[in-house]
Amino acid sequence: MAHKELMVGNKAVAYGAKLSKVEVVSAYPVTPQTTIVQYLAEFVAQGELDARFIEVESEMSAQVSVQGASFTGARTFTATSGPGLLYMHHPMMGCQLPIVMAVVHRGNKSMQPDHTDLMAQRDTGWIHLYCEDNQEVLDTCMIAYKIAENAKVHLPVVLGLDGYILSYTAEPVEIPDQEEVDDYLPPYKPKYGLGNPLPYEEWVKRPGGFYGSQNAWLSHHTKMMDTRKVIEEAHSEFNKKFGRNYGGLYDEYRCEDADAVLVAMGTIASTARPVIDQMRSHGKKVGLVKLKTFRPFPDDEFRELATRHKAIGVIDRNVSIGGGGVVYAELRSALYDLEDRPRVLGFHTGLAGKEVTPGHVNHMAEKTLNAAAGGAESAVEWV
Amino acid sequence: MKEIRFHGRGGQGAVTASRLLATAAFLEGKHSQSIPMYGTERRGAPVTAFVRIGEKEKMVRSLIHEPDYVVVLDPLLRKTVNVTEGLKEDGIIVLNSSVTPGEVVLAKQFKVATVDATGIALETLGRPITNTAILGAFAKGTGEVSLDSVLEAVKMQWSGRLGEMNVKAVQVAYDRTVIGDPKVVSDTGKKEAPSNSRADWRTFKPVVDEAKCTGCRVCWVFCPENTILMVDGKSTINYDYCKGCGICVEECPVGAITMEKESE
Repeated sequence: MAHKELMVGNKAVAYGAKLSKVEVVSAYPVTPQTTIVQYLAEFVAQGELDARFIEVESEMSAQVSVQGASFTGARTFTATSGPGLLYMHHPMMGCQLPIVMAVVHRGNKSMQPDHTDLMAQRDTGWIHLYCEDNQEVLDTCMIAYKIAENAKVHLPVVLGLDGYILSYTAEPVEIPDQEEVDDYLPPYKPKYGLGNPLPYEEWVKRPGGFYGSQNAWLSHHTKMMDTRKVIEEAHSEFNKKFGRNYGGLYDEYRCEDADAVLVAMGTIASTARPVIDQMRSHGKKVGLVKLKTFRPFPDDEFRELATRHKAIGVIDRNVSIGGGGVVYAELRSALYDLEDRPRVLGFHTGLAGKEVTPGHVNHMAEKTLNAAAGGAESAVEWV
Repeated sequence: MKEIRFHGRGGQGAVTASRLLATAAFLEGKHSQSIPMYGTERRGAPVTAFVRIGEKEKMVRSLIHEPDYVVVLDPLLRKTVNVTEGLKEDGIIVLNSSVTPGEVVLAKQFKVATVDATGIALETLGRPITNTAILGAFAKGTGEVSLDSVLEAVKMQWSGRLGEMNVKAVQVAYDRTVIGDPKVVSDTGKKEAPSNSRADWRTFKPVVDEAKCTGCRVCWVFCPENTILMVDGKSTINYDYCKGCGICVEECPVGAITMEKESE
């Protein structure tokens, strides 16, 4: 029977991997991800998880180990944070194996959480899913495998959870029944694997095979953009089975008739919802879009959304130094060809663990509302 | 929604206390969050942790700045940490203290619940870990969670003898908790410590016996905080900075320095 227990985000990750019946785990400890490795090692040691745990000396080796294991047809899992993720960058690049990795966000130059770590991997060809609470973390592990192992996808998925804010915060989480999970996520049966190796002729025909040509990049990119449908299907199937909806690409909250909407990722979305409720109770037409899937970027979907609102405020827990807010830039760019474009404002907040309070969200929402009403608000602000 | 802030010292179990309280609330069918504040976690250093109890939809992800309740696990902390900061007007302070609420000096009127959690912990656990005892006082003082839920949460955390001892600690503390009004004075005499001071880590302080001090400067060499000055050839400790580590006591070749327990 499904049951609830109080657990921290890192334990939710470990449970997610366990319920997904991963077969090979390799990870190297780094704050604030370390306890994921501990929980998983414990599951394996106690025989609760029938998996091979490969101990390595670095994140680079962890990434390469799971890729090697994935080639043999195993369901593989790894996890890291901030600097560990940077160290994985090279093997992550262009990987086309159905690996799932959890990233416990930690700023690239601090111990504290922000999204600069995962944003720095935005060009590597992985599917990026962001989570806002521990239940979503656990559920997203299973959804991630469902997406990754889809024959049309066969790409790696990374799921992000804010370090400390989720990784060490305990809250009630429902652990679904293993049988139900098995039903949702059947064993991984790749066409090629151990005993049935991929023939060389097939390998070279594979899209993106050796990245020796421009076409390889194009095909990976095209395939990635095409995964949006699968991502939505995997989420809606999960919702149907378990009754929990995370929106697929993004989730709208009280956006109906909203003049202004905020776009937020991860835990900021949780902080924003009560603020939106409060503002709505004062008759202010404001809504929230939680961006769940950052890669592939849901540009078509945002173009459709943009026609319904007068202003969009994008909250970036990141900065591309010398460029600006990553989501802000991409969203604005996606809307450029629309004839009737809404105002798009950018906000940087929560970097290096800076606390994001309901007051901050209120400020950003008010400013976006003001822009929707024609107010001359500055385009970008550091909150 | 109710918001609770815990003040403790590294080693007293403030984080575990927050976890147990969140579990107790969860057992009563409420949603809860237990948030540890990660920073300088060292044995003896002040730590904070937070709990939210309420509906899932209202669970924001910031820290807690305007708590409904404040729980203080260490009797000396309130000398150096402003434990009532941001506490709501009708807020309650649950204090580990051997004095009655009427003897607690505060700058503002708040309801106070006191219990000698350190004494109870020593009595029931044999160690000054006050996290379970203070939760008994919390249940009595605030009524936010029932005694039964706290006991259930404790049993889930520890089994066997350790569980039994902690159950006892909660029960005894619940029975001995006294609720009342504090003594409100305009100036509590608390002075702001310098920003780079670790004096608030101190639970024991070194005291120099001038008659024995030979002025050899050994303590001056070893003090990790540079808090010892030589005045008239004798070592003199600057308590604004002394963190109470006791290294000077260990190093003094003539036994001129002793550690004395800080008083409430």
